[in-house]
Amino acid sequence: MTKKLNIALVGNPNSGKTTVFNNLTGTHQYVGNWPGVTVEKKEGTCRYQDYQINVADLPGVYSLTAYSLDEIIARDFIVEEKPDVVVDIVDAGNLERNLYLTIQLLEMGARLIVALNMMDEAGGRGYHIDLEHLSYHLGSPVVPMVASRNRGTQELLGQIAKMAESRVRPSGLRIDYGREVEQEIRKLDDLISQSALSRLYPARWLAVKLLEEDEEITKKFKEGNVD
Amino acid sequence: MKALMPLGMARPDEMVSVVVIKAGFGLKKRLADMGLSPGVSLRVIHSQMRGPVIIDLRGSRLALGRGMAQRILVQEA
Amino acid sequence: MLTNEEILRVKDRALAHLRSIYGDDAETIIADRRYGFISGVLKDVVKKPAIERLAWSDKIDRVIVNRWLGIPIFLAVMYGMFQFTFTLSAPLMDWISAGFDFIAARAVGISPDWLGSLIGNGIIGGVGTVLTFVPPIFLLFIAIAVLEDSGYMARAAFVMDRLMHKIGLHGRSFIPMILGFGCNIPAIMATRTIENRRDRLITILINPLMSCGARLPIYILLAGAFFPAYRGLVVFSMYLIGIILAILMALIFRKWLLPGPIGHFVMELPPYRLPTITGVLVHMWERGKHFLIKAGTIIAGVVILVWLLSSMPWGVQYAGPDSWIGYLGRLIAPIFGPCGFGQWQAAVSLFFGLLAKETVVGTMGAIFAVKEGGLGVAIASQLGWTPLIAFSFMVFSLLYVPCVATIATIKAETNSWKWPAFTVGYELVLAWIMATLIYQIGRLLGLG
Repeated sequence: MTKKLNIALVGNPNSGKTTVFNNLTGTHQYVGNWPGVTVEKKEGTCRYQDYQINVADLPGVYSLTAYSLDEIIARDFIVEEKPDVVVDIVDAGNLERNLYLTIQLLEMGARLIVALNMMDEAGGRGYHIDLEHLSYHLGSPVVPMVASRNRGTQELLGQIAKMAESRVRPSGLRIDYGREVEQEIRKLDDLISQSALSRLYPARWLAVKLLEEDEEITKKFKEGNVD
Repeated sequence: MKALMPLGMARPDEMVSVVVIKAGFGLKKRLADMGLSPGVSLRVIHSQMRGPVIIDLRGSRLALGRGMAQRILVQEA
Repeated sequence: MLTNEEILRVKDRALAHLRSIYGDDAETIIADRRYGFISGVLKDVVKKPAIERLAWSDKIDRVIVNRWLGIPIFLAVMYGMFQFTFTLSAPLMDWISAGFDFIAARAVGISPDWLGSLIGNGIIGGVGTVLTFVPPIFLLFIAIAVLEDSGYMARAAFVMDRLMHKIGLHGRSFIPMILGFGCNIPAIMATRTIENRRDRLITILINPLMSCGARLPIYILLAGAFFPAYRGLVVFSMYLIGIILAILMALIFRKWLLPGPIGHFVMELPPYRLPTITGVLVHMWERGKHFLIKAGTIIAGVVILVWLLSSMPWGVQYAGPDSWIGYLGRLIAPIFGPCGFGQWQAAVSLFFGLLAKETVVGTMGAIFAVKEGGLGVAIASQLGWTPLIAFSFMVFSLLYVPCVATIATIKAETNSWKWPAFTVGYELVLAWIMATLIYQIGRLLGLG
């Protein structure tokens, strides 16, 4: 009996996300549109052991703010569709920038695997990355890959299966925003936990988003909508 | 529409174009006077994530403080 | 939904609260902390090799503007600039000074006596003193012109911006501050690069607190006489006190006098160029010429006035206790009582210091009729000064008023008499308070 899994691929543009998607889905992919918008939506399927995995390729984004449609689409998908696993494709040669998205995903409470791609280029530039420590700091598994040569794909699938089996809920990354900001977050958090929205998103994440004056989230509070 | 990022995140040697500037009127005008306004393309020369950003705008160099770099949203050209 | 409204209200209050504390949007702070977290992680996790290859000018920029190297490089450049200026100018100054002394000596012999005295003691003595400062000032301008034309100054302002921001000043305020150590006049003129009117004004107002070169003779004389073993330390402490008070006043002014946000930092970085000799000299003259004209006219006027006061009533000993300026000195002297130097000689010297701070020492020399070498001893014995009093006097002369030429420059640069008057006012008050505090507290502590 096959088990079904839904996963989403996310990451910066130019991080090799498309290549990973192709490696996973091969010819089993099709292109459509995200509902109501003209943004391309790529989906595909892949088999691993006794899993049938649906892969959604989310638009390439640098961050999860509400400024661009791409970001809103990516964010909404993760929150509403609740994929079993989110794979963040990270360019190993550009960690500083790529990790900005990663930590936002982690703060959101996504069940995340970090796919550290382009390891060959990073190595070529003389970088040396301690994967274990990185995984420890992020609180999420890290899989090294060279997607252009289809290396790491099996390991990635293995980690995906492992995470799907595990019943552990991710605790969500907590970044210390400084005493003043944390005080305000706490106040908002307490109130938000009583609101309907906190059933959908982590309360702390909502609090931070409000302080960031995130348009989408602020609008949701103004409208009092739960969906 | 391509992904947006703050100017501070752009990579050195990357060509980007300005999409929106989150600032008050006075500041926007001042930046516009220096050639920095929505639609304009520029190349990042130097960027230290949390530090200053130096850009190449139509051949001239501009240095921007970190706060400024956060407020200018760009996309890959 | 009621809770949602409440949440939004709390959010608005939170944003306002955070904005007032940090002076920035919460969004910026949050992004900043995220980057900080990432930095921390990467420091632990990634080992990068040395700097990668770049175009040469970009490479230079990366180093000069670099977070860790930028400031040391800047300090080294500043040090080099001062060395250049003051080492080269020293012999020139002596030469000019001797020249004026010579001419003055001849001029005094002109008859009638009063004309000889006016020209010799007054004009040539007074104006000559100021003109001896042409070498260091012009050399400083040359150095600045070189740094500016080469494109380095822009990077320096950029490097300093972060630091200056912390004390409520602007990156561009740093250079005028440094220049103030040489002479406050070109320093104040250099504030023209600061666009924001508030930032510029504050920088101008605190600039005289940066101990200019003219005050150095005072320190050297008194430190040498009263603190022979700690000479260097005492002189250095003067500079330090000036800097600390400048920072303090900057914070005070920004809070109460001219509140408002600090201007954003956006600056054009000119490309690196090799400065041309013509270009440098032209820039030097542009600035230096102002100094000569403005300083010259006002000083000449004041000099004549001072000469008049020192020579009247007729036949009296020049700048002696019975001359009008002596009377003036004895009138003012009590004010300095709490500071420890309530003697007319000190009062008169400080009064002349209004012209140009170097004349404080020169005046004392004239009064005690000794050359600078024996002046320390003369002051100690005849005025009964202790090291504490000497220190108090030094602090007073550091702070009390900018010289006339500087006042004139402030007037010119701010286009009003209000600000120079304010500067004179606050500095007098500040100087008196500091000197009194030092003397009185020192007395209480039994330091003499």
